[in-house]
Amino acid sequence: MKKKYICFSLFTTSFLYGVSQVTLNPYGIKRISKSNIELVYSQYIGDGDHSAITGGLGTEKLIVYEPEVIINRPIDSLSGYWMDAGIDVITSASMDNIDFVKSSASRVSKRGYIIPGYNTKLKKHRNIIIGGNGYFSIESAYRSLGGALSIDYVSKDKSSEFSAEFQAFFDDLRWGLLNGERPLRLVYPSELRYKEWFSNYKRNSYNLNLSFTQTINEKMILAFFPGISFQQGLLSTPYHRVYFTDSTERVEKLPDKRWLIPLGVQLNTFIADRYILSLYYRFYHDNFGITAHTIEADLTVKISSRFSLTPTFRFYTQRGSPYFKPYFELNPDQPFYTSNYALSSFNSYETGIDTRLAVPAKQKAKLYFDTIWLRYSYYKRTDGLYGHILTLVLDMISDKNNSKKH
Amino acid sequence: MKLNSRNLITVIFISFGSCRTVKPYQRAYLNDNAMQINKKNIDKLSSDMHSYKEGASGGGRGKSSGGCGCN
Repeated sequence: MKKKYICFSLFTTSFLYGVSQVTLNPYGIKRISKSNIELVYSQYIGDGDHSAITGGLGTEKLIVYEPEVIINRPIDSLSGYWMDAGIDVITSASMDNIDFVKSSASRVSKRGYIIPGYNTKLKKHRNIIIGGNGYFSIESAYRSLGGALSIDYVSKDKSSEFSAEFQAFFDDLRWGLLNGERPLRLVYPSELRYKEWFSNYKRNSYNLNLSFTQTINEKMILAFFPGISFQQGLLSTPYHRVYFTDSTERVEKLPDKRWLIPLGVQLNTFIADRYILSLYYRFYHDNFGITAHTIEADLTVKISSRFSLTPTFRFYTQRGSPYFKPYFELNPDQPFYTSNYALSSFNSYETGIDTRLAVPAKQKAKLYFDTIWLRYSYYKRTDGLYGHILTLVLDMISDKNNSKKH
Repeated sequence: MKLNSRNLITVIFISFGSCRTVKPYQRAYLNDNAMQINKKNIDKLSSDMHSYKEGASGGGRGKSSGGCGCN
């Protein structure tokens, strides 16, 4: 509990420090009248036949609707605040199988979240930006409270940039957090509720994300993303079933500590005047025994000065955890076990297309569209899981000065 | 060529060694929206889904925590 207060205190201190800087010495600080508002609507529809809730065999049909709003409000030329909020509506056939009662209340669930943030350039070193944000997310069997602190350094000629972000999340996995059901408790599959499988219901995560960006020349930019994450607490999902070779059934069990080491590299470059190639590679390893490689390639084609198309391709390959075995193939003597196919060995592919339209600015409008984005992509995992993802982003500008002219 | 840490470091040094200072009036291409390194909001659901359906997360993309995604 103390960690939560420390995290929020750090965020509040950085917020007040930034505000006091602006108030005490406003020389050279310009007021900015424009705010950016992004309305995002995303939808995922997918299915598969390896649900972890039913022990690695059973429907994974899932529909997710995600409306979201992101507001960036600059206070002046130094600082600004932002807020990201949204509600996810999740229709999950597999969640229905926690108690094997069809059309139970668990089938449609919701998740709400809010992320308020603030950042400011240092008054005497305007190439350094410090920032912080809070994080609150709640769903029926998951509550996450957290925050992040960040620092960015941009070299004077803007050719290099370094940023570091530290995030902390303190999660509670008990059921009843959103619907008010009491007492709060971990929910197990209906036939396994004869005992408490876990004594801990908390999960803490700490992430350090670094990035180094270097301009190579006027048409090429390169970035590295090293990171390290640590998770501790209840890392198993209490309603994931597992079935053993001796026909017994238990709840998934994973270690209570996890180290994750990702390293990403990205290269963006113009090829002639109309084409932009973006290449991304990521290596990943963790102490659950998972090693993964990701390759992404996006090619943006500028059809006109305002309209562009971007075909995207992603390939992912993963060597799975030794804790994973399929339905009825787990050895009962294993210390840790799961039938969650996210931890198995597989490849996945995703391909899609982005369209982006830059809307001409309306000189006298108080609120106007800046950009409209639309993306569709298709995801396929080699174990049969597939999904369709559709996202629409309406990027708008609110300009107070324009309203005063009327 | 086998990808190991020595080769990776060599590539990094060659890349940074060939860097050129770009003047403000030469930044038109670099300022293009598609050249930006930061993750865009249009990628969000896709990268969240990767975090839930795959074992790996982090590394400049993807979600590290703050939600269950256990279905």
